[in-house]
Amino acid sequence: MRALVIDDSRAMRRIVGSILKDFGFEVREAGDGQQALDALQEGKAEGWVPDLCCIDWNMPVMDGLQFVVAVRANPELRQVTLMMVTTESETGQIVKALAAGAHEYLIKPFTADALRDKLALLGLLPEEVSA
Amino acid sequence: MTLQEAPPITALLDPETVQSIADEIWPTLVGDGEAFVPVPVAPPAEVVSAWVTISGPWNGAVVLTCAPATAGALAESVLMTRPPTVVDDEDVADALGELANVLGGNIKSVLPGPSSLGLPQIGSAPTTGRLDDVCRVNGQWRGQSLTITVQGATQALHPSGTEVPQ
Amino acid sequence: MTLTATSFDWVRQLVHRESAIVLQPGKEYLVEARLLPMAQQRGMSGVSELVESVRNRPDPATTRRIVEALTTNETSWFRDGDPFTALTSTVLPQLLAARRPDERLQIWSAACSSGQEAYTIAMLLADALPNAPTRVSITATDLSQQMVERTRAGRFSQLEVNRGLPATMLVRHFTRSGNEWEIAPALRRMITASECNLAAPLPRMGPFDVVYLRNVLIYFDLPTKQAILTRVRQLMRPDGWLFLGAAETTLGVDENWERVVLGRGSAYRPRKGA
Repeated sequence: MRALVIDDSRAMRRIVGSILKDFGFEVREAGDGQQALDALQEGKAEGWVPDLCCIDWNMPVMDGLQFVVAVRANPELRQVTLMMVTTESETGQIVKALAAGAHEYLIKPFTADALRDKLALLGLLPEEVSA
Repeated sequence: MTLQEAPPITALLDPETVQSIADEIWPTLVGDGEAFVPVPVAPPAEVVSAWVTISGPWNGAVVLTCAPATAGALAESVLMTRPPTVVDDEDVADALGELANVLGGNIKSVLPGPSSLGLPQIGSAPTTGRLDDVCRVNGQWRGQSLTITVQGATQALHPSGTEVPQ
Repeated sequence: MTLTATSFDWVRQLVHRESAIVLQPGKEYLVEARLLPMAQQRGMSGVSELVESVRNRPDPATTRRIVEALTTNETSWFRDGDPFTALTSTVLPQLLAARRPDERLQIWSAACSSGQEAYTIAMLLADALPNAPTRVSITATDLSQQMVERTRAGRFSQLEVNRGLPATMLVRHFTRSGNEWEIAPALRRMITASECNLAAPLPRMGPFDVVYLRNVLIYFDLPTKQAILTRVRQLMRPDGWLFLGAAETTLGVDENWERVVLGRGSAYRPRKGA
């Protein structure tokens, strides 16, 4: 499994990334939506397509919602699962992100167990850790 | 609900709400078993602040303030660094900023929306202008002083000129 | 005001005895943070005063609350998703076909904790059946009065809704209330919550079409497990369904059940003629 962790906080990238690595993910990072689109482009050239993107909402240059819209507009990335991982937690915003094409939404702060539960919901956990 | 009946901001946001949000953030983001304890200790001589702004029906900022050494220890705890690894200034700004960001996002959600959150900033004090303290919790973490402040106009839910019921 | 070493030690031993959970030295902050609200509620100056008062005048209710405050871990909504997938894909269609339209389906969440299981069932049924609030009733019981009250309230913290509740269900069935999330009133009305000790004779309830009795039996010895399974069976319809935890089974415990494989998991049904 491959994941792209998109957050302008490197502390948060490290936290999310290390939990995902524990579940066997190969993790790449990006600091904003534009960097993430670039990383997807570069990855494509070498055959690296993520199974999952964990996406912060508020970031410089391109925010997480714009990134979701951009990914959803690209048919080549249809199989990529998009999960918002953000402190934004107004109901209206969750609805907006889901309508734009995000599959799940994890609110900060969260525990490693909460991230694992979301991966289980998304069918992205290897069998041996899903029990 | 008419504008006149809109609740003052202090009815939506009190120290207990801020504390309940901190109670969720410390054990998850700072570390297992960590806590923001709402018991004040002597404030430090030198302070550093991280804050995020909230813009929408209500405008203000959520500010986290502590001594530089406490900020460093917070960053180490958030990043789970162990000696000999050390955190640099950028790590400290990043981790403190992320704490302010998570506090701000959760505080924003108890306020009337929709509103947006600014990117975290760090410095000696917020540059959002002269704002009143809506809510301030003086507390401690590992015995060191730490303050969470929500700043903004207390009557901003009402259009200017509207009388606020007491 | 800080927690004394004696108080911390007493709390450590209590929690270990009651829950097998080990509080490592250095977790004084955790004890302080979790118990301070209780101390303040009682008008005490700090956690040490709370601990001293319970040590001097034993009080089972307060002791239980101390253990709960220190051991409560958020429960997942779709904890081991299989019993819920099975409910909508197999169990519900069969029950609807077997019952009259005016017969209310009765479901029991037998160790409801803070209510996640009961509300998960309510949400699934509300999404699957337009008339769920009148067609189904859910009984939620727990040993702890505090948990029963929490289930009745239907309010959950941010951390709790983060635990395996699909975002689509969160926005469809909950509204924000301060820093918490509140379940829709129509779903809350589907649930009747009460205290119930599974290890003692059960009150008159049911008969149930479906029982969720998950991760409870593991805490009891064999004779108690057998007694609980017998009492539960007596409250079930003959064609009812029982769901146990992923690590639990009736096999080798009570032979009056038939195991049925449902998807990746399994359910148990009262054996005919038992």
